[in-house]
Amino acid sequence: MDSSGKSTFKETKLKRTDNQSTENQNLSKYIKENEQSFKDIFKHCSDIMYREITIHGQIKLMLIYVDGMVNTDIIISNVLEPLMYEGLPQGLGAVESISEMLKQERFTVLQMKKIFNFEEISENILKGNLCILVDGEDMALLADVKKIETRSITESSIEPVLRGSRESFTENLRTNTTMIRRIIATPELKIESLKIGKLTNTDVAVVYIEGIVTEAVLNEVLNRLKQIKANGILESGIIEQFIEESPLSPFPQIMNSERPDVVAASLLEGRVAILMNGTPFALIIPMTFWGGLQAPDDYHQRFLFVAMIRWIRYFFTIISVLLPSLYIALTNFHPEMVPPNLMLNVAALRERAPFPTVIEVLLMEIMFEGLQEAGIRLPKQIGPLVSIVGALVIGEAAVSAGIISAPVVIVVSAAGIALFIIPRYTFSFPMRMLRFPIMILSGIFGLFGTAVGICIIFIHLLHLCSFGTPYLSPVAPLNKRGLKDVLIRWPQKPVKEGEGHP
Amino acid sequence: MKRAIKFCYILYIPFFILTGCWNLKEPDKLAFVTGNGLDLTTNGKLEASALLVTPSGIGGGHISGGEKEESFHVMSATGTNVSDALVNIQSKISRALFSGHRDIFLVGHRLAEHGMGETIDPFLRYPQSDMRSLIYIVKNGRPKDVFSTKPFFDPFITTSLFDEQVAIGLKPYLAREFVVDVLSEGTQPLLPVVSKISSKHYSYTGSAILNKDDKVKLVGFLNKNETSYARWITDRLSYMTLTSFVPKGSGNVSLTLESIDRRIHVKQVGDRIQINVHLTGKGTIMENNTKLDPSLPKDLQFIEDGLSQNTQKSILQLIKKVQKEYKMDIFGFGERVHQRYPKQWKNLKGNWVETFSNLDVTVTVDLRCNDPGQTNSSLNER
Repeated sequence: MDSSGKSTFKETKLKRTDNQSTENQNLSKYIKENEQSFKDIFKHCSDIMYREITIHGQIKLMLIYVDGMVNTDIIISNVLEPLMYEGLPQGLGAVESISEMLKQERFTVLQMKKIFNFEEISENILKGNLCILVDGEDMALLADVKKIETRSITESSIEPVLRGSRESFTENLRTNTTMIRRIIATPELKIESLKIGKLTNTDVAVVYIEGIVTEAVLNEVLNRLKQIKANGILESGIIEQFIEESPLSPFPQIMNSERPDVVAASLLEGRVAILMNGTPFALIIPMTFWGGLQAPDDYHQRFLFVAMIRWIRYFFTIISVLLPSLYIALTNFHPEMVPPNLMLNVAALRERAPFPTVIEVLLMEIMFEGLQEAGIRLPKQIGPLVSIVGALVIGEAAVSAGIISAPVVIVVSAAGIALFIIPRYTFSFPMRMLRFPIMILSGIFGLFGTAVGICIIFIHLLHLCSFGTPYLSPVAPLNKRGLKDVLIRWPQKPVKEGEGHP
Repeated sequence: MKRAIKFCYILYIPFFILTGCWNLKEPDKLAFVTGNGLDLTTNGKLEASALLVTPSGIGGGHISGGEKEESFHVMSATGTNVSDALVNIQSKISRALFSGHRDIFLVGHRLAEHGMGETIDPFLRYPQSDMRSLIYIVKNGRPKDVFSTKPFFDPFITTSLFDEQVAIGLKPYLAREFVVDVLSEGTQPLLPVVSKISSKHYSYTGSAILNKDDKVKLVGFLNKNETSYARWITDRLSYMTLTSFVPKGSGNVSLTLESIDRRIHVKQVGDRIQINVHLTGKGTIMENNTKLDPSLPKDLQFIEDGLSQNTQKSILQLIKKVQKEYKMDIFGFGERVHQRYPKQWKNLKGNWVETFSNLDVTVTVDLRCNDPGQTNSSLNER
């Protein structure tokens, strides 16, 4: 997204001159007048189609729709064919209006509604409905003949699992809610609908399970969603930024997932999910620190293995933040703490290095960040190039040329690998960012600086809340029952009634 | 306003950096000292020596091509006291001496005879020094000669000296244990000795008895076997191999003891103190040159009894020798008495050297063979 795009999300005064007049008016009785009004509203919109039909030479109908958004097969078979071949139903006088009759007798298979207001009609047209105007009547019939091209359901690419459902969300809200409904088949599953964005009119659904959901969180979510004032909402990340509590914190306070099973599991835990048209990423509220370190299939595997894997994850999370700074602090400030042989080896390898250790590590870290970003942005065809350039040129050549010492390359790549162990991709961002300040602190004060950095991070984490839920819960504040799920994933058996699912 | 105050806090941060508490040391600006030595020169001056590692010489990922450098250098300098000598060493080299990784501390023979009490202090006091280093006495030699030798396996001799202790079954006698012994009331320190065993090879050859009451002066030496026995009594032995003549089988048996224990009983009878040293050990028969078949319980009993009796004799002999010849309580009996009879100890400690040399010591040894080995009787009996 370019910088100018940012203004899209803030509400701006739009210049609406000509359509202002027709906006809130009701339809007139004359079809010609109505057509003209619509043409004014949809000025320079080449994708709006106007089709006039005359039935039996007496009654004029006007169909208005967006080309490409409606299913023409349905229009032909359910609207045009009955009208053309069978004509209007007999006994006109008995019914109050043609449209009423059409609705009841001809278009029985379609979802219909009657609307009088220009603004509402045009909005419905833009959402893919077919508008039928009848000459002499001041109302419009709207038929749901939507056909929007969407991506099919595919396997999740950024949250892969070894065991579990392969489905992931698509860009279509309805498909997504269906996927959740299929997993949780109960009327208690509520899907509240909202529209956000003055121009985009994006459909947003707030999903929760009544009875399990924390009411306070739900109300807060709805409240904050209603306060969003923006012209456009294009991705759930924009909603996230609008409703999160501490935008300045490096830690994400709202989890996102493109997996229906993850959303369903969170709903069963009493959380709230926000789904949105146009993105496969659902928001899950509230999020905790430990939630960021849990993989979707943690509950699908046997518990002993998961307990081990979880600890490995915790260990590598620490490594990813601290390893570069510990290397700096130990080799530069406290060489006596490193085992003698290791220290001598490090000293031997540093013998020819031209830069101070801190600069070396910072350089390599910045290079690594660059490689990561390049890997995402690169066209797929030249993807392998980055790995070759990254591994050979920056890793191997820099060492053999004596520009960077070998241990630094090991440290930086170990910390880099550690990052990818974090299951929630967005949750690895804080680790990536926090490395740098801690590295600088360690480069200035040694282990003391590292300790200060860790303290600052913890003070921040303890202070942080996600929709009223402390970020570090259940560890701080301590909840012994919840702790079972943090230290080791407790076996499934003892789950009692009312305790909820995983 | 609040923002301005917050901004001021940020301005404070540079003060931390600019006040000079900058103790950053790049590893390539340090001279790693793995061994230090102290000795007296012939004209009575204190001489300190240091084994400095040349990092580029020890190989760690060295880029192929260039010729291999020496892995270490030995520097020595004299001075009025230890710190002065060290400063003189420092003035000869371009990198800062860093003794955080010092493994070995050597004391020359001449200095040990003169008494190393006050000179060793700075090495133990300086916060950078590692209390897990080993202290050796160099018998008939100077520390810098030991440092200059090239060992078989390691790039420099300090690592070899450190590992040697473990390899022969002694628990390393670390500097901190030495300090504990010197500061204790009863025990006298027993330091390992390194000496020349061939023209270019220095190795462990036993231990030295020191008198902590007199400037930690050298009193005498024990050979390797005696050291092992003495270490057994002080519980600083992890395994050892005993070889002894078994009269019933008219041949030698070697037993490697793997689980070793000792118990010291202190008893007061009248105003005499009796000490019983009970030593136990279990092990594997390594060599059997007798007619006995260790797989038979009767024969095994003969072997065990023969070994135990012989060992008991040698240990008793060692204790008598130390009591009469050196009069130094290297076995820590004094500490035992101190623990058992704290009140009587107050009267005893003043004259412990005398009391120790007249102490009634009995030794019982109980050796067992867990494993007779892979063959039963000796092959030459067939």
